[in-house]
Amino acid sequence: MASVHESLYFNPMMTNGVVHANVFGIKDWVTPYKISVLALLYEMTTSKPIALQERRRLNKLILPLQQGPDLTLGQFLKTVGECCPQTAYAVKLRLHEMADGELKDMEYFFATLPTPFRAIDSEAYKTSVVGLFMRHMLLAYNKLSFSQVYKLYKALQQYYHSQFAQPGVSPVGIPGLAADNTDMDLTSTEDTMGERMEKDELDTTPLHESDLSRGPLSQKQAEYFLARQAYLLKNDENKALKPAALQDELNNMLKFNPDFAEAHYLSYLNSMRVQDIFISTHSLLHYFDRLILSGSEGKSNGDEGYGRSLRYAALNLAALHCRFGHYQQADLALQEAIRIAQESNDHVCLQHCLSWLYTLEQMKGSDSSVLTEDSVKMAAHFCLPYLASLGIQSLVQQGAVQGKTAHELMDAMKETDILHWKHSLSELIDISLAQTTSIWRMYGKSTMAQQQAQLLLNMSSLEQVNFGVHQNNTEAFAVILCHLAELHAEQGLYGAVSEILKHLKDQFPPHTQHAKLWMLCDLKIQFDRAMNDGKYHLAEPHVTAIAALNKTEGLYRKALVLKALNRTTEAYSILQRLQLYCEKTKYTEMIIRVMLATAELHWESSGFATALPLLLQALSLARQHHLQALASETILHLAFTQLMLGVPDQALGVLHEAMEPVLAHGAVMDKGRALLLAARCQVTIAGAQVKTNPHEKSAQTLGEAAAYFSMLDCKERLRDVHYLQARLHHTLGQTAERNKCAMLFRLLDQELPAPGAAVAMRL
Amino acid sequence: FGLSSGLTGIHVQYTLVLILSTKPCEFGDLVQIKKQLISVISLCKERGLVHSVKWASELAFALDPLPKNELPPPAIFTEEDCQDLDAFGLAKSYFDLKEYDRAAYFLRGCRSQKAYFLYMYSRYLSGEKKKDDETVDSLGPLEKGQVRNEALRELRVELSKKHSAGELDGFALYLYGVVLRKLDLLKEAVDVFVEATHALPLHWGAWLELCNLITNIEMLKALSLPDCWIKDFFMAHMYTELQMIKEALQKYQSLIEAGFSKSTYIISQIAVAYHNIRDIDQALALFNELREQDPFRIENMDTFSNLLYVRSMKPELSYLAHNLVEIDKYRVETCCVIGNYYSLRSQHEKAALYFQRALKLNPRCLGAWTLMGHEYMEMKNTSAAIQAYRHAIEVNKRDYRAWYGLGQTYEILKMPFYCLYYYRKAHQLRPNDSRMLVALGESYEKLSQQVEAKKCYWRAYSVGDVERMALLKLAKLHEQLNESDDAAQCYIIYIQDIFSCGEQLEHAEVSTALRYLGQYYFKNKHYDEASLCAQRCCDYNDAREEGKALLRQISQVRDQTETSSTDLFGPLSSNNTPVRRVSPLDLSSFTP
Repeated sequence: MASVHESLYFNPMMTNGVVHANVFGIKDWVTPYKISVLALLYEMTTSKPIALQERRRLNKLILPLQQGPDLTLGQFLKTVGECCPQTAYAVKLRLHEMADGELKDMEYFFATLPTPFRAIDSEAYKTSVVGLFMRHMLLAYNKLSFSQVYKLYKALQQYYHSQFAQPGVSPVGIPGLAADNTDMDLTSTEDTMGERMEKDELDTTPLHESDLSRGPLSQKQAEYFLARQAYLLKNDENKALKPAALQDELNNMLKFNPDFAEAHYLSYLNSMRVQDIFISTHSLLHYFDRLILSGSEGKSNGDEGYGRSLRYAALNLAALHCRFGHYQQADLALQEAIRIAQESNDHVCLQHCLSWLYTLEQMKGSDSSVLTEDSVKMAAHFCLPYLASLGIQSLVQQGAVQGKTAHELMDAMKETDILHWKHSLSELIDISLAQTTSIWRMYGKSTMAQQQAQLLLNMSSLEQVNFGVHQNNTEAFAVILCHLAELHAEQGLYGAVSEILKHLKDQFPPHTQHAKLWMLCDLKIQFDRAMNDGKYHLAEPHVTAIAALNKTEGLYRKALVLKALNRTTEAYSILQRLQLYCEKTKYTEMIIRVMLATAELHWESSGFATALPLLLQALSLARQHHLQALASETILHLAFTQLMLGVPDQALGVLHEAMEPVLAHGAVMDKGRALLLAARCQVTIAGAQVKTNPHEKSAQTLGEAAAYFSMLDCKERLRDVHYLQARLHHTLGQTAERNKCAMLFRLLDQELPAPGAAVAMRL
Repeated sequence: FGLSSGLTGIHVQYTLVLILSTKPCEFGDLVQIKKQLISVISLCKERGLVHSVKWASELAFALDPLPKNELPPPAIFTEEDCQDLDAFGLAKSYFDLKEYDRAAYFLRGCRSQKAYFLYMYSRYLSGEKKKDDETVDSLGPLEKGQVRNEALRELRVELSKKHSAGELDGFALYLYGVVLRKLDLLKEAVDVFVEATHALPLHWGAWLELCNLITNIEMLKALSLPDCWIKDFFMAHMYTELQMIKEALQKYQSLIEAGFSKSTYIISQIAVAYHNIRDIDQALALFNELREQDPFRIENMDTFSNLLYVRSMKPELSYLAHNLVEIDKYRVETCCVIGNYYSLRSQHEKAALYFQRALKLNPRCLGAWTLMGHEYMEMKNTSAAIQAYRHAIEVNKRDYRAWYGLGQTYEILKMPFYCLYYYRKAHQLRPNDSRMLVALGESYEKLSQQVEAKKCYWRAYSVGDVERMALLKLAKLHEQLNESDDAAQCYIIYIQDIFSCGEQLEHAEVSTALRYLGQYYFKNKHYDEASLCAQRCCDYNDAREEGKALLRQISQVRDQTETSSTDLFGPLSSNNTPVRRVSPLDLSSFTP
């Protein structure tokens, strides 16, 4: 009974209630454009000798032409003509034969095509790319019914004539329309002019769909388009279509074939670009609703295939919420994914869930190293190299923040690097390099950082799709470029900095995901510059902008500005708050910096003795975490305090400890400051004695410091240096030099608006 | 083909248009209305607008017959009509035989309005017919969506020329509007349809097209429509479409009172309206009346079968199904009815098969997609169910049942967070439907988001809980959270609710409520109320033991405190709900 029903009412589009997108197995079909490509291939295989170079260019053209969307004849001939005008002409001639001939000419063309099954030694053999294409086309053509063949021929004629209009034959003449027009012509000429215009307008205006140049994409073309765009979105967003254009394209595709689920996924990715949560959620769910079906198609029992996509659906939803910062929702979705994955014993999916779980925990700001370690172990067990090394990278990041020893971290990185190269996980290689750069910078080894950054920038991409291209625009590149910019800024090379930032702006336009990185970097550099120049009023507006991007950093910078403006109480309270907060979140770098700033506040109230324990604490913290740059900075502070407390010998001793790393890795500013401090210590020590030797040495040091400061154009400190120099020369009795320095001092003093803090009072 | 577009229309001589549009259109004058209907029927008939003819004839049939001398005069014959007479006759015969191109060819030189309309209409229909044929014969699946009615563009150009010259009559305007709508130029289409209704108010087709284009009440209010009795029919129809059922029912009621009480059209519309607000009894009664008056009617019978299904009236449904199969088994409605019939008999495979058949007959039949989804759900074929629901959504994004169905599917798959999105969508579309709210609440509860769950349940209760489950669930939630006062309050309202509606449902749940209340009062030392609840508990099998135990406890306590135990077995107070002592808890504090 049931079988009778089925045979009677069987719907080919439907089995088991599931409509298949691709019922008849047609992935491709013949269009006029495809005929032109066939004609080109025909010309290339059969014909006359073509110059080797032209042939090469044509060969390179074949794949894009086969895979790309349909072009108009004009575009097509132009592309071919650029490679080989002779072949383009031959193709045109062949098309002309068909379009201006009869139906039999087209049939003849298909009959004479070299059959891939026969021509064993030609390029069109059935296993080659060209052969496959020709086979597809021939099969598709042979399947056409009578009316379809006729329709194809009509389309071909129109295709040809839309490019090369014929004066004799009117292209598409409906008798009724023609009659009407002549009728109108008789009445009055003016009228017809107006009407013609109107008609033209009507024809071109809002009939958006009927863009003749862009037919629907065949399944193959659509797949290629989607894959290409998805790849670009991931790796090089700027090269992908603009969000609006891409969405249009997708909508168009979905209108022609609503069952093309992958388009929904791309639409999800695309709306993520513009931070549109509604469309992205909608598209994501739609995609998975569809995928669930195609998943069940593969396995007849259904459960395996589509249960899997259910789990990944929930996981993807979690990822989406994570991306939009809805941590609670993300958490719920993730739990759901974990639960169903557990129920069906899907370890791979569970592994993915776990790695998302620790990411989520990290984003929420809580400690997740235990989870991450578990994740790495499990991933290694299930042979998921990507997840394993992602986990290790995340562990390294956490370890670096928490003060794990450098060699442990570096060892871990090395291990993962081996893994990456073995499995050629190019994405992770990029990340790993970026991470190494960041770690070196954190430790204050600017040379190493620079070297790693250059390594990544000069490495060719390993992706097959754009093999040999130097840069993608992934997060890793953004991070590296920001580091480079900051490193250059430290060396006072502001021209280079602005170039790097310009490049960043081009590569990562402000609306994109990673744009915040360079925005923060840019602001920080500008802020530092303004502070060094003593232009506090310029620094102040940056604080707000920085706070918008990173709250902690903003607060810290605000305290710095307040301190510089002598609003000590406010600055102090902010610093206290910040320290508490950072201790809670274990943000060691910031803790140390806050401590240093607090110590500086103590100096201003001459509380040098109170600053001392703070500085020692900072120093031990910095050493514990191997933060060399900050440690040297702390030592500078310590030395200065000691100098102020009247123990210049001690101060000089401490200072020597820091001098080497500062000169090797430090910023220009730090170098200058260190030298200046050293000179002051030397002067103070030598103060009582009248020996020339130490004085000359300190004069030399001061000279070096002056060179550094003038590099940065830091006039305030330069003035201080000149003052000291003048005093020194005076003691040495070198009048000419003294006068010169005094004049320089005077010039700068006049130039600077208000007298800055007393020389004695700052580092 | 073409039929689904609801085309109806013809062109009218100017004189007649004038008569029709300027006459005072009062309901009082049923004779006038009848006359107008008769003349418009003949006009539409001449132009091949079959659906409008049907509508007008049904209405005319509902009115008293006219005496012979009152019959309207035949349409005035102009010189042009006379010239075109032969060509028109020939073309009309071809048109009736669906040879549209042929009809158009013989009409091409005609000058009269009537012939012009038929000429354009033939061309339009020919394009539509070819489009349908093409769809079967297209080059590939992706091209399917691209098949267009090639004639549309030309028709639009010609019609717009004439339109700006003011040469179009009511029927031609209507055709112009249809062409614009098919080209997705919806705004222009609305304007043209409004113009068409002004030019020829009696042509129902134009109103119907307008109806499909209006998406909200603001848009409706902004239109300036002709003041004619037919406008009331339009408004009523519109209100039904916009789910403003109360207003729609009022309109239809007033139409019945005005003298259209015998119209099957109005009866069916009212029945559908009752169906939409889930007033099942009223709707069933009306449908039965409709079946009596018009036993061979197939339209709206799918709705009728839905009602029978909801009430599980197997014999009636089976009778209806057999009857309809005898009338015409290849109709979408028939297939839906049979599908419902099999579904009620739990033969879900067959049910799905029939819904599939309905979809083959009309792929844009929304109800069938959703119903098929339900069938697959019954068969536990979740993936197919999801597919069916998705199709329904593609046909109409505002189909709340499909969204709800998707939600349910994912709930069955134990993905409460995932289904939230779908339930939310459904809730957006039906903000006052308690079922979605309860579903939302349940999902939130599963996710341990009690605050949200409470909000949902309370809201579900406030919008009028259909299944009377919201309060119970709310109470249980409060119970879990140890908010005993709130829980008690909810149980009290729940019991009141159950007893006030008079139906005997869910005894078990009433007993749960009573049991909890008994314990609650006992704990709070309100022994009178506690014993009352305990006694009521004894009415229910599953709570009897506990009720007795509680009674014993109460008497023990009372003996200890040596209060008079007399009133323990005293007469029960008349009201059976112990509301008195509980402080009115501020439940509104957690309404959203």
